[in-house]
Amino acid sequence: MNSSEDLLKRLPNDIGGMPAEPISRIEHELAPWEKRCHALADVLDFHKIINTEEKRRGVEALGAEMVGKLSYYERWIAAFANILLQKGILVPSDLAHKMAEVEARWVTHP
Amino acid sequence: MNHDHERGAHDHPHAPISADQAPGYYDLMETAVRELLIERRLIGADEIRRQIEVLDSRTPALGAKVVARAWLDPNFKARLLADGRKGCEEFGISFYDDTQLIVLENTETVHNLIVCTLCSCYPRPVLGLPPDWYKLKPYRARAVSEPRAVLAEFGTHIADDVEVRVSDSTALVRYLVLPRRPQGTQAYSEEDLAALVTRDTMIGVVEVNTPPERPN
Repeated sequence: MNSSEDLLKRLPNDIGGMPAEPISRIEHELAPWEKRCHALADVLDFHKIINTEEKRRGVEALGAEMVGKLSYYERWIAAFANILLQKGILVPSDLAHKMAEVEARWVTHP
Repeated sequence: MNHDHERGAHDHPHAPISADQAPGYYDLMETAVRELLIERRLIGADEIRRQIEVLDSRTPALGAKVVARAWLDPNFKARLLADGRKGCEEFGISFYDDTQLIVLENTETVHNLIVCTLCSCYPRPVLGLPPDWYKLKPYRARAVSEPRAVLAEFGTHIADDVEVRVSDSTALVRYLVLPRRPQGTQAYSEEDLAALVTRDTMIGVVEVNTPPERPN
């Protein structure tokens, strides 16, 4: 069991050297949205909007529960959204309205 | 369906890109974020598609070519070990992600292994995207503390008198393992040699297999 001191010394991503299960050689072909998400990460980095370190910190800032429950690219897109909100590039209502708009395309044009 | 002609190449059961399947929550979020950034002219409309093409063009076959050349050309190997990025750029491999590359040579006395304990940094320009296991906790946690046990789980047994060196990647500095050339390949062409070099040999979790001897 970790003492609270260990929580300060180890952020969720800082797992090097910790005990863990045997390696399971998992691989999967990326879903189209996952590949777009990866490309988005690269493009955000090219434009200095979100760099690699900011992305990693953004994932850490999701907290241990989300880091544990979201898949790799789910964590990335959640982190990007949060960082863009924090930087004032987007506001929450922009994102909510756009997500509803995108979803409606599928509802009205099945 | 007027977009059928664009989807033909993806038309198999593992890639549900068809219009009859609604996207999931994170898929919607990705599309929304991308479209908002394009509307605000923070990124270009074509940039994502172009970057997907770049990602698709990067596979371990590129790294394998670099390794085979290094096995055959000592001068190239020296340049590659001195500056991995410049060495790869000689092959026209561009470094789109602004990272440096250090190539680590396996020898009779040293076996190298690469990891990213914090996340998933990987020599993507040369190898493409990393496998899932590279990004998951067991490999990231254990590679630095018990590399021989990890290697054994990949079926790799390194002699006790060979040093196992683990390099932990960062956002700016990535590593690539230059594996040892197997015995019995003196007559191989550069292309034949490259065909022996797999992704996992350049991560360092396995060695390059000695090609099977022809039966007498």
